Amino acid sequence: MKRRVSWMVLSALAVVLAQRAGAQVVVIANPSVKVAEVSKADLRDVFTGGSSNLSSGVHVVPVLLKDGAIHQDFLALYVGKSDAAFRTSWRSLVFSGQGVMPRSLESDAAVVEFVVRTPGAIGYIGKSTPHEGVKVLVVK
Amino acid sequence: MRRFGLGLALMIAVVLVPGVVRAQSIDDLNLQVHGYVVQAFVKSNQNSWNTTDSENGSASWNEAVVNLSLQPQAKLKIGVQGRFQLLGDSGGDGNFTVDWAQLDYTANSYFGFRVGDVKTPIGLLNETQDIDPAHLWVLLPQSVYPIASRNSILDHFGGVVYGAVALGERGGKLQYRGFGGERVMGPNDGYFQGFRDEGVTLPNGMTGLILGGTLKWEAPVRGLMVGASLSSLDSSGEIVEGPYQGTNTVPRFESPYYFGKYERGRWMVAGEYNRLPALALTAFAGAPVAYNRLDQRAFYAMASYKATEKLTGGVYYSSSIDKQSVFTSARYQKDWAVAARYDFNSFLYAKAEQHFIDGTEIGFAKSDNPNLQPTTRMTMLKLGVSF
Repeated sequence: MKRRVSWMVLSALAVVLAQRAGAQVVVIANPSVKVAEVSKADLRDVFTGGSSNLSSGVHVVPVLLKDGAIHQDFLALYVGKSDAAFRTSWRSLVFSGQGVMPRSLESDAAVVEFVVRTPGAIGYIGKSTPHEGVKVLVVK
Repeated sequence: MRRFGLGLALMIAVVLVPGVVRAQSIDDLNLQVHGYVVQAFVKSNQNSWNTTDSENGSASWNEAVVNLSLQPQAKLKIGVQGRFQLLGDSGGDGNFTVDWAQLDYTANSYFGFRVGDVKTPIGLLNETQDIDPAHLWVLLPQSVYPIASRNSILDHFGGVVYGAVALGERGGKLQYRGFGGERVMGPNDGYFQGFRDEGVTLPNGMTGLILGGTLKWEAPVRGLMVGASLSSLDSSGEIVEGPYQGTNTVPRFESPYYFGKYERGRWMVAGEYNRLPALALTAFAGAPVAYNRLDQRAFYAMASYKATEKLTGGVYYSSSIDKQSVFTSARYQKDWAVAARYDFNSFLYAKAEQHFIDGTEIGFAKSDNPNLQPTTRMTMLKLGVSF
C-alpha cells in the first residue's frame, strides 16, 4: 500500500513537472503557415528531418535554438531525444545527403526574428519571450 | 554518363537557384560545414582481415569526411562530400574522393528528386553504410554490406526520385525511391580481390548502368518499418594479366533486398536479406571465354539496447553463402558480433566490437593469408569525432 502511494505521488510529480516544462515552451510559426495547431507526431517528423511537411501538407522550415533549457525541454517533450542523440541523428542525414541541418540560433529573440521574416518557418521559444509578428501553434 | 549527371545537376542548379544569386549573405544560404574523423584498430587471432595486418594488430583503417551543404531556398538543397579513406591495401584508393555531389529539390511530400553524383537508396542501410557516426557497430554485417566493396553500391551518377504517401491512420505511410544512372566500381574494389589474388588487374575498374527502386512501409504500429528494394545492374571493364589484355563483363542481373526494423523505447531490432546472382564473362584475345557464376544469399539479424544516454550495446548475426562456390570455407561466412558504443558528448565517441567468424568468404584474401584458416576471432576498436 505504502509502495503504491509512493508510486502514485511520483507519477503525479512527473506529470506536473512535464506539464510545467511544456508550459514554458511555445511553438511559433510564420503567419504563412496556415494551421492553428500541430500534432506532436508532426513536430517530431519535421524537427528530425523525417518530413518537411506537416500532415496537412503545409511545407515548413524548422529552426532550432543552439542550447539551453528551452531547447532541452522542447527535445524532451516533442522529439523524445537528448541534444546529443538529436544532433547525431541529424548528422546521419547530412552525411548521407538526405538533409541539411536546420539553422541553430543563439537566442529566443533570434528565433522570433527568423520566424517573422521566413515564410514557412516554425520554431520554439520560452513563453515569456516577446513574439509579435508570429503565430503561436497549439500542440495537440 | 558521369558528365551527364553532373552537367544535369549544374543546369538545374542554374535554373532553380535564383536564390543563390539573390542571397543577401552567407547566412541566407544556410551554408554549413560538417565532418568526421575515425581511427580504428583491428586484432585477429589468425588470418589477416581485408589486407590489413590484423594478425599482428593493425591501425591501417581510418577515414576523414568533410561535408559542405547549403539551402538557398526552403525546397532546395545543394551539397558535396569528400572522403579520405584508408583500409589496408583495398576498399579505398588511399586518397581523397568525392562521396556525393548533388542538387536536391523537394517539390512536396509526394515528390522530390536528386541529381548528380547521388547515394543509391538500396536496402535498409546502404545510404548510411559508410557513415560511421550513424551506427552502433564498428563493422556493419559484412554479408550484406561488405566494407571493401561498399563504394561499388554506395552511389551512382544520375538521379533519384523520392516521396511519401500517407495511407491514413490505419494504413501508416509508404515511402518510395526510384533511381538510375551509371555505377562505377573502382580498380581497388573488394569484389576484384579474387582477380588480384590471381595476378589479374582491372586498371579502370568496371562501369555499368544501374536502375531500381525501394519501397518502405511505416506501419501504423509506431516504430515498425518493413521494406523491399530491387536493383538491376550490369558492368564491364578492361582486364590485364601480364602482357595479355581482355574484358570482364557482367550481363544485366537483378538483386533483391527485403528488410525490416522495429524500434521501441530503448530497443531496436532489424533484419535484412539480399540475393546477388551474377555471371561474369572473362575474355582474353585468342582464348575461350571463362564463365564465373556467383549466387550469394546473405542475411543478418541485429538487436541493440540503449542502456544509458551515453552507452549502447548490441549483437548481430550475419550469414552469407555463395551457392555456386566449391565446398570450402571460402564458400560461406557466419559472423556473431557483440558491440558497445559510448558517446562522451555529441562530438566524441568510442566503439568496441568482438567478432566470432566461421568461414572466409568475405574479407580474407588468399594473397594475405597463405595459410588461411576456416575460423577467425577478431577484436575491433574505434574512436571517432564528428561535428
